[in-house]
Amino acid sequence: MLKKLLVFLVLIGGSHSLLAQDKTVSGVVTEAANGAPIPGVNIVVQGTTNGTQTDFDGNYTINVSEGSILVFSYLGMKTKNVTVGSSNSINVSLEEDASQLEEVVVTALGIKRKEKTLTYAQQTVGGDELTKSRDVNFMNALSGKAAGVEIRKSSSGPGGSTKIQIRGSKSLSGDSSPLFVIDGIPMVNNRGSQPGLWDGVDQGDGLSQLNPDDIESMSILKGANAAILYGSQGANGVVIITTKSGKSGITTVQVNSGITFESVIETPDLQFRYGAEGGAKESWSYTRGEYQDEYVDKYFNTGEQYFNSVSVSGGNEKTQAYFSYANTKASGITPGNKYGKNNITFKQSTKLFNDKVKVTSNIILAQEKTDGRNRSGYYNNPLTGLYWFPRNLNFYEYKDNYSLFDTTRNVDVMNWDSAIGGPDHLQSNPYWILNKESQEDKTNRIIASMNIEYDITETLKFQLRGNYDYSVKSFETKRAGGGNTTTVAANGNWIYKKYDDTSSYFDAILSYNKTFGDISITALGGGTYQKTDFGNGVRVNPGAAQKQLIYANEFNFNNLTPIIQVSSILDETSEVEKQSLFANTTIGYKDMLYLDIAGRNDWASTLALTGNDSYFYPSIGLTAILSEMFTFPEIISFAKLRGSYASVGNEVPYNKIFPRHTINADGSVKFNTIKPFIDAKPEIITTSELGMDFRFFGNRLGLDFTYYNINSQDQFIEINENFFEYTSFFINAGEITNKGIELTLNGKPIVNEDFSWSTALNYSQNKNTIVSLDDRKVDGIDQGGAEGIQVRLFEGGSISDVYGKKFLRDDQGRIMLEDATDRPMDTGDVRVFLGNAEPDFVLGWNNSFNYKAFALSLQVNGKFGGIVVSQTEALLDGYGVSERSAAARDRGYEIINGVRNGTAVTQVDPRDYYDKIGGRNGIDESHTYDRTSVRLAQMALSYNFNVSSIDFLKNASISLIGNNLFFFYKDAPFDPELSLGTGRNNPGIDNYNLPSTRTLGMNVSLTF
Amino acid sequence: MKKIIYICIVALLAFSACTDDFVELNKNPFEIDDESLKQDFNNVGAFYPPMLKNLFGHQIEHNLSHDSWVRHLGTPTPFVGGINNTTYVIRWNTYWNRIYDQIMSPATNVIKIAESENYPVFVEWAKLIKILGMHRLTAYHGPVIFTKFGEEPATYDSEPVLYNAFFTQLDEIQSVFAANQDYVGLAKFDASYGGKMDQWSKLVNSLRLRLAIRLSKVDPALAKTQGEKAMSDPAGLIETNGDNFLVSLYGDVFPPVTISFGWGDTRMSASMESILIGYEDPRIAKFFDPATDASLYPDHADYPYKGIRNGAELNAKGDRLEFSNISSDFKNVTNRRFLTAAEVHFLKAEAALRGWVGAGDAQVHYEAGVNTSFEDWGAGGAATYLANDSNLPIDYDDPKATGAVNDFVNRITSTVAWDAAGTNEEKLEKIITQKWIDGYTNSIEAWVDHRRTDYPKLPFNYKNDSNADWGIIPADDFLRRQVFLTSQRENNASSVAEATGFLGGPDEIGTKLWWDTGGANFN
Repeated sequence: MLKKLLVFLVLIGGSHSLLAQDKTVSGVVTEAANGAPIPGVNIVVQGTTNGTQTDFDGNYTINVSEGSILVFSYLGMKTKNVTVGSSNSINVSLEEDASQLEEVVVTALGIKRKEKTLTYAQQTVGGDELTKSRDVNFMNALSGKAAGVEIRKSSSGPGGSTKIQIRGSKSLSGDSSPLFVIDGIPMVNNRGSQPGLWDGVDQGDGLSQLNPDDIESMSILKGANAAILYGSQGANGVVIITTKSGKSGITTVQVNSGITFESVIETPDLQFRYGAEGGAKESWSYTRGEYQDEYVDKYFNTGEQYFNSVSVSGGNEKTQAYFSYANTKASGITPGNKYGKNNITFKQSTKLFNDKVKVTSNIILAQEKTDGRNRSGYYNNPLTGLYWFPRNLNFYEYKDNYSLFDTTRNVDVMNWDSAIGGPDHLQSNPYWILNKESQEDKTNRIIASMNIEYDITETLKFQLRGNYDYSVKSFETKRAGGGNTTTVAANGNWIYKKYDDTSSYFDAILSYNKTFGDISITALGGGTYQKTDFGNGVRVNPGAAQKQLIYANEFNFNNLTPIIQVSSILDETSEVEKQSLFANTTIGYKDMLYLDIAGRNDWASTLALTGNDSYFYPSIGLTAILSEMFTFPEIISFAKLRGSYASVGNEVPYNKIFPRHTINADGSVKFNTIKPFIDAKPEIITTSELGMDFRFFGNRLGLDFTYYNINSQDQFIEINENFFEYTSFFINAGEITNKGIELTLNGKPIVNEDFSWSTALNYSQNKNTIVSLDDRKVDGIDQGGAEGIQVRLFEGGSISDVYGKKFLRDDQGRIMLEDATDRPMDTGDVRVFLGNAEPDFVLGWNNSFNYKAFALSLQVNGKFGGIVVSQTEALLDGYGVSERSAAARDRGYEIINGVRNGTAVTQVDPRDYYDKIGGRNGIDESHTYDRTSVRLAQMALSYNFNVSSIDFLKNASISLIGNNLFFFYKDAPFDPELSLGTGRNNPGIDNYNLPSTRTLGMNVSLTF
Repeated sequence: MKKIIYICIVALLAFSACTDDFVELNKNPFEIDDESLKQDFNNVGAFYPPMLKNLFGHQIEHNLSHDSWVRHLGTPTPFVGGINNTTYVIRWNTYWNRIYDQIMSPATNVIKIAESENYPVFVEWAKLIKILGMHRLTAYHGPVIFTKFGEEPATYDSEPVLYNAFFTQLDEIQSVFAANQDYVGLAKFDASYGGKMDQWSKLVNSLRLRLAIRLSKVDPALAKTQGEKAMSDPAGLIETNGDNFLVSLYGDVFPPVTISFGWGDTRMSASMESILIGYEDPRIAKFFDPATDASLYPDHADYPYKGIRNGAELNAKGDRLEFSNISSDFKNVTNRRFLTAAEVHFLKAEAALRGWVGAGDAQVHYEAGVNTSFEDWGAGGAATYLANDSNLPIDYDDPKATGAVNDFVNRITSTVAWDAAGTNEEKLEKIITQKWIDGYTNSIEAWVDHRRTDYPKLPFNYKNDSNADWGIIPADDFLRRQVFLTSQRENNASSVAEATGFLGGPDEIGTKLWWDTGGANFN
């Protein structure tokens, strides 16, 4: 630490050395193509802040010393360096720079292609965009940076999972997560189980194990068209992560060090002036009092996150190497929530046999540990008891003495039930949970890959790759006996799961690249083999078992009673083998027309015995670079149209063809009543997209527009009907469409010597429609939900349609009240449509400002439309602890536009009203909110030190960073982007999720 | 050059062509198939224990439903704001799915396997288990899907069709069992009778008698025919406790133990307190633990028990946790009662009142029922008890509620001692009241009897939240049935409409089932 400080002092002290400026140079800058003068060209003396700009006629004057280098730069032109000689006049002509259009991007299978030749939409995000704000879950930083990429994070804190979805939900099974690829090779992003209403905790995913500082860039292939070479796995889009490599001739050491602080933005709006009566657990007294009101805020900590990484890279012409180590340590806002991660990456590549063969290997090691991950839902969640605690009582009595000694058993028991008039399965003493119910998740992972490239001839290349991804994960919950009498057994409960995720992948690709006059041909063919085995391990899950542990509070296998089964487990997505052959040809004509044809055949083990385990699908695309074909007005610097069509097959989940029986804990066998699905077919997802890419004003303004239409057919649907010898069966049926547009606007409105502003706007909208379901399921399919709130699929509806209870209203829209009470009536047991959880459109607005050595970036994210439903708020009302319930009591009544037996009612009794609309069986409409929110999602203010005088230092910068800073607009009383789980079943449902947080901190980056 | 390409292509094809292991890969290795189960001949029998185990539901299916409706156990917990099944607003209705998922569907498959493997006794055993489950389910809903099970669309049977189907199938079952009295194949999988066929035959007859008595008012002729058939079958009935049909818990904790001791969600009912203490019933100590707070029962200090009114006004759960738990003895039980000798004696006593041939003498069976019940529950003093012709159930006071809240005045005017001079109606009241006591922890048949005969004269709900959503129960009446499932109303609407027609009333909780005829019990 001290050492770092010293380096800093040296930096700051030495950054402004003065250079002698002994001469005046002047000249004119012109365009090489036509000799026209260029106004506004930046001229900087290299290595200094000394600079100027050309005037309207392209003239400039600058004071320099002989031998220094002048750098002429202008957007859309190639930058030119000129060494100052004896002459006092330097005229420069700049050439048009097509390089931005010649930009090479990484596409499927790691194949590099010129961006302009692509026939589909893709977007690249630099690694620095992901690390800029040091979000401990770095994937969240992707939000708003690419059009059409929808990110939702879990509320479980550091190391939690992220839901990523590109272009909407395409399938009724699975969660439409995109494929993640590292350096061309699919990586495992196996999501652990997700919390539900009653239990469980987010078990993270595979992404959090990466070191974000290893990422050079991320390419997002949005459609099946782009991803066809990945087959069905790519049907939901692909996120291609390119990692950093060593570069020949340059040895670089980079050190990053960051610290951020996480704090609660808002807790629910609670009241602290009306207590409980008669020992009830609900605070429904009408007598106002002065009660403790700070213990909720005091419960949450300020989270701290420390991030340190170092990377060393370098090499010579033959061999390059990259090594990095990163350590993340974090504590969350929940007391006891800790997260730690270590990453080691070693990547090297060597050229052999006259540079004809290049061997690259990459090893990534990750170790991750989370303690006390935040829970959601009703059970064993500290937040329920914390929020509901009867207001008239002394909270600290229960906080300080969370445990009592039970002399009849000689064990500690929870001190809470006396506060709430007897046990309540939904709440516990929060401090008992924090101290007596532990949760520890661990992951150890290795990803090893190897890549051999052989340049057979100038035009022919062979590539062989392999990858082995292995992780061991364990999840352990220990709940001491004596806690909540319903959710924890008298001797305690032990929930344990340990499993391996294994994936092996190999591919071989032969590619051919040649130009014949005006025609260029790029062709490739190859095959892949992939085998995955997920979630293979053991589990002890007592369920509601009261007799799990023989001796109290000893949590291990030896202490299990005989009726407890130690289960061998496999993930639902486990044990899948896929093989494929594919081919792809791109034919270009004169750099202006590109035709792209691809096809792939898959063999999937999950379709074994159906006769459909081999399936083929094609894609075709066409790109026309109009600006090469026609002459456009000067303001248009580039114009391209693209269109493509692809169809991708998606295999059915594992073990659905012939499920078998299961052995029960008591030794008997549960008959399998899921019907064998022997005529299963792959789902077919067809995508058409049309797009255009226009750039104006010498590339200072760019517009990229895409329209897509995705059609998913032969959905894999499970039907539960228990009047047959099978209680459920599967069918291929239904049709889902996703239609949408993506718009990206890039601009550099201001480019000055000292100040520049670049901005990018990402807009997307998606409309999901369930065109048809199976005939027999016209009544809808239950997709999930939480208690009364149901997520149901109907023909004509959309995925993520949420149903619940609404107020019963008369034809004037007045809320109808029960005859004899002040309780509103509801729409009844058959739930009605509340809204769709997905937003109507999404906006991301990214801005970078550079002023001299300062850089400021601001990311504004907006989601518009969609709904969220809060069970948190419903129960706060039911328990009489919401502020609105107190405001109504202050007033003496709740204001309502109601009607009883035809008579208008404007005032109702607060308790009658809130008791009815709140609680677990209330009127969901009253706790349904607009998902719309606009927030300052990211901010980074950095300063680049001038280190030209320090030999060993190439770059040094310090930045102030922040995430999720504040909301410009928000309807819901909580962050609508936080989700109970990141699976597909309960979109938009808030159930005692952790409050949303902001982080603020700083980051120091040094490059040697 | 060409050679290299050629090699490469061959290499690609080589590893893309072997899909032989797909079938094996796509099987979950931790599941077990029929082929493997053939080892040690487990391929049929291993499926029976889970079906038997699922004859009984858990908290929301039983404890917060008919255990409360028939006043055996009461809850101290104001679930869902105190408005729930126990106060006549349906929050839970899931027994249906247990019966179909865990019994009907697997049994249908197991029957196929047993038929193909030529195990006729196993075939009939599975059919019997289906009836054991379905005759409980129909006691909830009335019309259910039974004879049309497996057809599309799945339509409901009216109750007359259903009961006739039960009787016909019991005929088949009994004939196969009768022909295989020496068969020992069930032994390994039969935790109830250890494979003894003669005892299974007795169960078949006893079940037939139970069903016949259900129909004794609504279809006296059919009831008499079937009842007499049950009583005349050479295999006999369950008339001694050694023949009781008990269902193993298969290692699990007795669900009421978890609900009572683990979750604190159930306690003795006020009616049990009223009846057992009023009659000075020694079985009380076998049924319940004493209350843990001596101030709760000032009106009967000699009987340290306290119950909770069903359909009570409850404020906080903690208010009544000191009331009587179920007996701690249940913590160690390994099985539970399904059909016992005592019940059969009470059935025969009623059959005798109805003049069915072979029933014998009503008093003999009434007293045998009480004696057998005492023996079964391990209580002494039956003779004294049976001789008591003065004691009546006591009035109930809720010590945790002010004033008259939750209190009730006993409506039972019948004593324990048999009165040979009494009317049939008076005799039936004694029989059914004793049957109600004996049916503790096995309360579905008690709930059927209560609706059918209106005995015992139980207290009404204090708190009755019934409303138009599920149907309204008058203040002086009881819930009469469980409604059809919402999922059925939504996904099988035409069948539900037809079934509602069978009911002869709306699909509501106040609509009476077929055998719930009301009126006098004897013409």
